[in-house]
Amino acid sequence: MIGYLFRRIGGAVLVLFGLSLLLYGLFYLAPSDPAILTCGKGCTPERLAEVRHAMGVDDPIPAQYAHFLTGLVAGRDYPAGPATRHCPAPCLGYSFETDQPVTTLLLDRLPVSASLALGAEVLSLAAGIGAGVLSGLRRYRWLDRIVNGLVLAGYAVPVFLVGLLLLLLFCVQLQWLPFPSYVPFTTDPLAWAQNLLLPWVALAVIQTAAYARLTRAGIQETLSEDYIRTARAYGLPERRIIWRRALRGALLPLVTLTAIDLASIMTSAVLTETMFGLPGVGQLLVGAVNQIDLPVVVGVTMLTGVLIVAANTIADFLYAAVDPRVELR
Amino acid sequence: MRALRRDRGFLFGAAVALLMVLVAVAAPLLAAAAGQDYTTYHDNLLDSARGGVPLGRLGGISGEHWLGVEPGTGRDLFARVVHGAQTSLGVAVGATILQVLLGLFVGTAAGLGGRWADAILTRLVDLVLALPILVLAISLLAIVPSNWPRPLLLAAVIAVLGWGGTARITRSETLTLRTRDYVAAARLAGAGWSRIARREILPGLTAPVLTYAALLLPTNMVVEAGLSFLGVGVRPPTPSWGQMLSSATTWFRADPMYVLVPGGLLFLTLLSFVLVANGLRRALDPRQREVLLQ
Amino acid sequence: MRRALTLVLPSLLLLAACDGGGGGTSASGAFDPATCQGGTLSVLNQGGITHLDPARLYTSGGGNIPSLLFRTLTTRNRQPGEAGAKPAPDLATDLGTPSDGARTWTYKLRADVFFEDGTPITAADVKYGIERSFAPELPGGAPYLRDWLQDAASYQGPYQQPEGIKAIETPDDRTIVFKLSKPEGDFPFLATATQFAPVPKAKDKGVGYEAHPVSSGPYMVESYAPKKSLILVRNPHWTTKSDTLRYACPDRIEVTAGLDAAVINQRLISEPDAVTTDAVVGPEQLAQLGSGGPLDKQVARGEFPATYYLAFNTKNAPFDNQKVREALSYAVNRTSVVNALGGSTVAGASTTFLPPQKALGYQQYDFFPAGDSGDAAKAKAVLAEAGVSNLTIELAHSNEDGNGYGPKVAAAVQEAFKQAGVTVKLTAIDDATYRDVTGKPATERGASLQYWGADWPSGGPFLIPIFDGRQIITAGGNFNLAQYDDPQVNAEIDAINALTDQSSAQQRWGALDAKVGALALTIPLAHEKDVFLFGKNVKNAVPDGWRGTYDLARISVK
Repeated sequence: MIGYLFRRIGGAVLVLFGLSLLLYGLFYLAPSDPAILTCGKGCTPERLAEVRHAMGVDDPIPAQYAHFLTGLVAGRDYPAGPATRHCPAPCLGYSFETDQPVTTLLLDRLPVSASLALGAEVLSLAAGIGAGVLSGLRRYRWLDRIVNGLVLAGYAVPVFLVGLLLLLLFCVQLQWLPFPSYVPFTTDPLAWAQNLLLPWVALAVIQTAAYARLTRAGIQETLSEDYIRTARAYGLPERRIIWRRALRGALLPLVTLTAIDLASIMTSAVLTETMFGLPGVGQLLVGAVNQIDLPVVVGVTMLTGVLIVAANTIADFLYAAVDPRVELR
Repeated sequence: MRALRRDRGFLFGAAVALLMVLVAVAAPLLAAAAGQDYTTYHDNLLDSARGGVPLGRLGGISGEHWLGVEPGTGRDLFARVVHGAQTSLGVAVGATILQVLLGLFVGTAAGLGGRWADAILTRLVDLVLALPILVLAISLLAIVPSNWPRPLLLAAVIAVLGWGGTARITRSETLTLRTRDYVAAARLAGAGWSRIARREILPGLTAPVLTYAALLLPTNMVVEAGLSFLGVGVRPPTPSWGQMLSSATTWFRADPMYVLVPGGLLFLTLLSFVLVANGLRRALDPRQREVLLQ
Repeated sequence: MRRALTLVLPSLLLLAACDGGGGGTSASGAFDPATCQGGTLSVLNQGGITHLDPARLYTSGGGNIPSLLFRTLTTRNRQPGEAGAKPAPDLATDLGTPSDGARTWTYKLRADVFFEDGTPITAADVKYGIERSFAPELPGGAPYLRDWLQDAASYQGPYQQPEGIKAIETPDDRTIVFKLSKPEGDFPFLATATQFAPVPKAKDKGVGYEAHPVSSGPYMVESYAPKKSLILVRNPHWTTKSDTLRYACPDRIEVTAGLDAAVINQRLISEPDAVTTDAVVGPEQLAQLGSGGPLDKQVARGEFPATYYLAFNTKNAPFDNQKVREALSYAVNRTSVVNALGGSTVAGASTTFLPPQKALGYQQYDFFPAGDSGDAAKAKAVLAEAGVSNLTIELAHSNEDGNGYGPKVAAAVQEAFKQAGVTVKLTAIDDATYRDVTGKPATERGASLQYWGADWPSGGPFLIPIFDGRQIITAGGNFNLAQYDDPQVNAEIDAINALTDQSSAQQRWGALDAKVGALALTIPLAHEKDVFLFGKNVKNAVPDGWRGTYDLARISVK
C-alpha cells in the first residue's frame, strides 16, 4: 500500500518533469521572443536587450530550465526595481505578461474551473444514472430507444456546438438567461448558478451519455448475476432487489470514474470556458499561449498534470475500497 | 456481416458517412457544379452598413448560392461547406491512420517484446493517455511556425497526442494472441518476431483495432473542429467546419444560417460515424459490447 | 475589432476613438458637470488593465482608464470634434514654453495638486516618474522620450542609475525643464502620456508599484487584479477646482476585463450604468441601429485616427518597380476590405495614408483612381505597360483578425489581385511576433498588411516612423517598411517638427503625405471608425476628438 503510493507519486513526478521539459524544449525551438511583446511598440534593439535581461530570457534555455526547477523546489528571488521579490517554493515564476506570480494566477482561476466541473458533474451524474437505470431495467422499450439515441447523439456533438446552440436559444432568441459571466459563489450563489447553468448543461450533455451507457451496462450485467437470481428465487421484492443490489453493483464503477472526470473537466474545459467567457484555467492557458507567456503555460500544464495524476490515484483507491477483488499493486 | 445488414442504425450511418466522404472527395466538382468557388468575394450581396450580413432571407439563399453566402465576405457558403468537409474529414482520417499505425507498432512491440520493453512501453502509453490532449495541442500548434502545412500538422499533432488507446488495445490483444497454438507453432518453425507480428498477430488484431479506429475517427473530427474553433486549426482561406462555427459566434442573430449549416453538417457527420462504429463493434467484437466509448 | 498601437496593452490605450461630430447625444444638452456626481459606473471590457504602472502604459492622450488615476503635465482637451484634438494643461499651468527653437520646453506646475495621501505634487515627482519609465524592469511605454531627450537613450532607470537624467532639470519644486536633442514642436502632445504622471519616490516599489499606484487624479485604486478587475473610488485630495477637464461624476468605477465582445454589447443594452472602452459594436447590434429604435440613443460614433494599409518593401522585386505598385493600387478592392473589417459602419475606404482627421493634416488625394471596388482592367494595362506578366507575389499577414491585418483582410486583397491576374501567396505569421518579423528588414516580406494609429493627433507620429529614411532600423522594430529614404523628405520632416504652430504644421504634413502617396509606397486600404454602445442611464457619453471614445472622466450615471 505504502509502496504503491510511493511508486505512484514517483511516476507522477516523472510525468510532470517530462511535461515541463517538453514545454521548455518547444519554447526553445519556437521563433518567438516574449520580450518583444513586453517591450512594446517602437522598442529599440538596445532597449530590447535590456528588457530581455530584466525578464531573465537572455539566459540559455537549459539555464532557464534549471532556474525553473530550483524555484519549484527552493523558491527564487527576482529583481523588481528598488528591492527583490521572493517567490516561495513551489515557485512557478512570474507571468511575462502581467508580472503576477503564476501560483496566484492559478489559485485565482481554479475556483471558476472547479465550479464548472462540479456543477457539470453533478448534473450529468444525476441525468446519466437516471436514464441509465430506467433503460437498463428494460421496462419501457421506447425509453430504452430514446436513451440509446441520446447516448449516440451525445457522442456526436462537440461541446462548442452544444454551447453555441444553447446561447443562440436561451440568450439570444428567448432571452431567458443573461449571457454568462462568472460571479463567484461567495458573492452571490444564485447568480453563480444562473450564470453557470448553460455551461453546465453544455458539458453535461456529453458526459451524461457516457454515464447513462455505463449505468445501463452495469444494471444489465448485475441483473444477470447469480446472487440477483438467488434473491429473486427467494422472493425478495423486485424494487428492493433493484435498489439494494443491482444499483449498487452498477454504480460502483461510476463512482470511481467521477474523480477522473472531475479532474479532466477542470483542466480541459478550454472550449467551454472560451465559449462562455468564463475566466477559468483553460482561458488562462489560451491567453498565455497567445502572449508567449511561458511561465503561465508551464504552470497550467503542471497543474493539469498534478490534478489528473491525483484523480487517477484517488480513483484507484476508491476502486480498491469498493471492490475487494481489486488489489493495489 | 448479416448482423450489420439488419442494423438500421449502422445502415443509416454508413450511408450518410459514405455520402460525406463522397462530398469531401468531390468538393471541387460539387462547387463547380454549383458554379461557385470558395474564395470569390461577393460584396454586392452584403449589407455593409450592418456589418456585412448577407442581403436577402436565410443568409442570402438564392438559385446561385444554394446555401447563401458567408457574412462579411460574401463567399459562397455551399462551396465553403463542401470544401470544409474535405478539411475536417481529411484531417480526421489522416490522424486516425497515423494513430493506428503508431498504436499498432508500439502495441505489438510491447506485447511481443521482453519484460523490460513491455514495462517501458506500457509506462509510455500510460503517460500518453494521461496527457491533456487539448491543452498540449493548443500549446504545440501555437508554437509551430504558421507557414507549415496546416492540415498535415493538425493530423500529426492529433495523432502524436492520441495514439495511447490503440497501443493499449493492441498490446492486450497481442498478449492473448501470442499464447495461441498457431503462434507457438510458428515460433517452433523458427519464424522471427517481426514475421510473427506480420503474419500471425496482425490478422488477429484487425477486428478490435478496426472497431476502435472507427471510434477514433469521430473523436479526431471533434478535436480538429475544437482546435479550429479556438483559432489554432487550419488557416483561412481554407475552410473547416470548426473554424466556420468559430466565426459564426459573432453572427448569432444577424445570420443564424451561418451557425446552423456547418453545425448541422458537423453533427450529422459525427453521428453517422458513431453509428457506424457502434454497428461495427456489435458485429465484430461482441465482447466489447458495452465498453465505455473513450 | 481590436486595434492597438501597442502590442501589449491594446485596450487601455488608444482604443477607441471618435472624432466628435456624431453621436453621444443622449441628454448631453442638459448636462451640468456641477450636479452630475453620484452612482457607480461599470466598465465592461474585453482586454486591458494588464498593467497599471504609469511607466508601463502605452496610451494616446493619457488613456481612458489611466487618466482617471494619473494627471500628467498636459492632457487631451476632452472636447468633441477638432477642439478635442488639442492638448490642454493638466498638472502644468500651460502647454509649456518652448525656447532654443523648440529644443527646450519649460513647465510650471500648479500649486493646488496633491497625491492621494495629501502630499503636494512637485516637479521632482514628475521627473522621477519619467526616469522610472527608462528602467528595463518596467518596459512597455512609448519610446519617444529615449529618442527626444538629450543623451538619454542609454539611461537604465533610477534603480541602476540613481543620478537620474541630466536633460530634465527641476530648478525648484514647481518648475521642470526638458532639454531635447532636436526641435520638437509636438512636445505638449507627448506630455499627455502617462510617463509624465508624478510618482513619489518614497512610495515606489518597482515592479510591485502597480498593485496600488499613487493617484494624482480624481480616483484611486481600491482593488486591482490584472486583466480581470479594477475598482476605483474617489481620491479625497483631488479637487474640481484644480482640474476643470475631468468631471469625475460617478462615486465609484468598477472595471471588468476579459469579457467577450458579444457579451459586453448584450450587457450594455440591458445594464443601465455600463459602458465599454474597447468593445466596438458587432453585427448583432448593427442590425438594430439606425432604424430609429431605442438603441439609437445609446450609441457614440467616433473615429480614432488610424489607417489599415498594405506595405511594400521596395528593396524586394517586383516592388522596386513603381509601375507594379501602381498596378496593384488600381487592383485593390476596398469594399471587400471594409467588409472584412466589419462593414462600412466601423471602417471606411481610404486612398490617403493620413486618416481623414484635420488635426493630422489630412488632404484628399487619389492618385490611382479605381473606385471602391478596384479596376482590374486598368491594373492589367499598367502591368502590361511595365512589361510584367504572370506575376506571383507573397503577402504577409497576421494569423489573427483582431488587429485588422489578419486572414480576412488578406483573403480580400488576394481575391482582388487575382482579378487583375496577379497570384498572391499568403503567408500567415503568428500574431505575437508579426510586428517583429515584418519590422526586421532581414525577415520582412515583399508585401505585408499593416495598421497604423496615431499616438497623438498630429501628422508627425503618423508619418515619421513610416517615411523618414533615418528611421530605418535594420536590427528590428522598423516601421519604415518601404525602406524609403529621400533626403528631401527627411529635411521637410525636420522643418515641420520645429514648428510650434499646429495649423501650419498640419498644412505641411498633408502636403508631405500627398508627395509620398504619389509613389505608391503603400496601398492605403481603410480608416478606422468606432461605434460604442453605452447603458441607458449614461449621460454625456460624447466621443472626444482625440481618441474617438466617450471619456470616462466626463460621463455620468446619476
